[in-house]
Amino acid sequence: MAALPRRIIKETQRLMQEPVPGISAVPDDSNARYFHVIVTGPEDSPFEGGLFKLELFLPEDYPMSAPKVRFITKIYHPNIDRLGRICLDILKDKWSPALQIRTVLLSIQALLSAPNPDDPLANDVAELWKVNESEAIRNAKEWTRRYAMDN
Amino acid sequence: MGVCWCKQKHEEHDTYVPQQHHSNNHNINATIQPVSPVAPQYYIRVAKAPDPHLVDKLVLETLGVIATLVDNEQEPPASMLLLHNIADNEEGFIQVVNSMIKVVPLSDPLGPSIITLLLDDCPLPSKESVFKVVDMLNLSKESAILGRQNPSRERNICVVLGCIAETLAGPRNLKILSDPMLDYLLTNLGPETDPNVVLFSLIALEKFAQSSQNKSTILKRLHQLDPCPINALEKWRYETHYIKRQVGFCAQWVLDNLFVMNNRKYSYLTVNMEKINAMLNTSDVSEYLKISPDGLEARCDAYSFESVRCTAQADSGVWYYEVCIITPGVMQIGWATKHSNFLNHEGYGIGDDKYSLAYDGCRKLIWYNAKSEPQDLPAWQSGDILGCFLDLNTPQIIFSINGMRLPPCTHVFTMAQSGFFAAASFMSFQQCRFNFGAEPFKYPPPENFSTFNEHGSLRAEDKVVMPRHIFLDQLRQQNIKEDSCTLCYDQKASVRLLPCKHSGFCPSCASQLLECPMCRAPFELVVEENP
Repeated sequence: MAALPRRIIKETQRLMQEPVPGISAVPDDSNARYFHVIVTGPEDSPFEGGLFKLELFLPEDYPMSAPKVRFITKIYHPNIDRLGRICLDILKDKWSPALQIRTVLLSIQALLSAPNPDDPLANDVAELWKVNESEAIRNAKEWTRRYAMDN
Repeated sequence: MGVCWCKQKHEEHDTYVPQQHHSNNHNINATIQPVSPVAPQYYIRVAKAPDPHLVDKLVLETLGVIATLVDNEQEPPASMLLLHNIADNEEGFIQVVNSMIKVVPLSDPLGPSIITLLLDDCPLPSKESVFKVVDMLNLSKESAILGRQNPSRERNICVVLGCIAETLAGPRNLKILSDPMLDYLLTNLGPETDPNVVLFSLIALEKFAQSSQNKSTILKRLHQLDPCPINALEKWRYETHYIKRQVGFCAQWVLDNLFVMNNRKYSYLTVNMEKINAMLNTSDVSEYLKISPDGLEARCDAYSFESVRCTAQADSGVWYYEVCIITPGVMQIGWATKHSNFLNHEGYGIGDDKYSLAYDGCRKLIWYNAKSEPQDLPAWQSGDILGCFLDLNTPQIIFSINGMRLPPCTHVFTMAQSGFFAAASFMSFQQCRFNFGAEPFKYPPPENFSTFNEHGSLRAEDKVVMPRHIFLDQLRQQNIKEDSCTLCYDQKASVRLLPCKHSGFCPSCASQLLECPMCRAPFELVVEENP
């Protein structure tokens, strides 16, 4: 394993010392570039009460390129597809090296509060979200209950 | 189809993350496109209850066809896409798992890799589906004992458990690793179990231990067992039975890295490195490859295509090293310069760029620049010796299997004439051992040649293959100064961007920027900041 960049050490230290409310990000025991992430579903969203697991990986050229993140818990969301991939601009062309693991995870939490069916990754979900929002929200709540809650 | 550019075809794998990534090999990797919604042409509506015989057949078909895929551009096998569609609902997922457990034969060198590949690329299973699978398997100490009659089934179950452990979220993972399941896995470590089952039980335990609570549960159980069954397995480290030897390797690795026992010394403290002057380079390796404490043996249990280079370099003359093939699956072994990149998450390795050349004896292909040339000889077997001969005078590279030489290769020399390292890439569950000359060669070439071990030199501290958790702990304790560059934290922040005036960067980071990282404004000038 190549030496770990100071940037990653610094971010890891900060995440441990000042954790973000509602988000836990723990580096893997054997790979300092891999984080086990759990995001709690935001209040007043259809995902409230759910615990969503994600994985986050810092590529070789981080922070010059964005972390790679995906949901591991199934979720009914227009911007997240069946494989857990996330459609979020800051993970793509709007990445900036001044952004951090912390800001990325906050953005993902915000995406849960504010789904954007006009920029969909999961087409069928987005479709329903647009034509029948209350039905879509019901589905999202049901999926949260089934897949993201333990009891 | 959609409006979001995320769906552009070449972008598809962008948000994948390595541990779940199926980049076992670039060409296999390239065959797997997410099925729907991005590949509607393959979308076939599948009835709710799939026909078990059909699914069995599709699994075997995928297994048969995957080893023949050699071209990056090749379409994914239809059988695989169908399986992904079938697995999209609960009954389908359960059937796919069932079929894999039933039909994947013990002897197929790609069996376990294909199971992980298929499962990894299925749509995410629901919590219920996974629990149903686990319930259906009904695992316990008794089932482990009964299962000794049918090692192929048990081996496949353990591979599936490893995948499930890696895919599922923390708290759910805890529930899945129930007491009876743990009994099952630990009973499988006993001496009466088929070594194939022992191996994948051990790997499943390793993957469950990725969540720290599971890890402490497993550790507690291991402490209660006296003697610890993994200690006995470590003694298989140098077995000539190659499945047992893999068990030995994995047992040693988990004892050093994961299940640390109080009464055991770390292997890196006890291994004798006196005669070793060249080894696999622990600072020049992709992150999931496991390297033995003596630095000469490597193994991949991740789903990515892991790579490594050796410590010593060949710049002129004639060189030779040998590799003992422990597992007969896909590895690309050969020569690479430092320009060759390890794109393990994208599935690119040695032989997949212009700066490296490799032989894969499973598919019988010589690889250069991600293109392959078929070779006319039998597939390699455990215990075979791959000879890697490099003549920088001619120049040429000649591979040999058990002394039988393949035709010489010259492609790579258009890009580089010096700076070559021994290098290799590993698909999941593959392992081999390097001999850089510290031991006598089995099939030395007739020409005069040099070896890395006679010409290499290593400082004592460079010969240490330290367990990663110790290494990372040391790293994390480093102090970082407050006036550091806010992007790299390596150098002092000393420049300001104009006209936006944002600062906090070092010159080398600033030189890589296209716009200001704070306000995204284009900048025209980078000026030294006066404190």
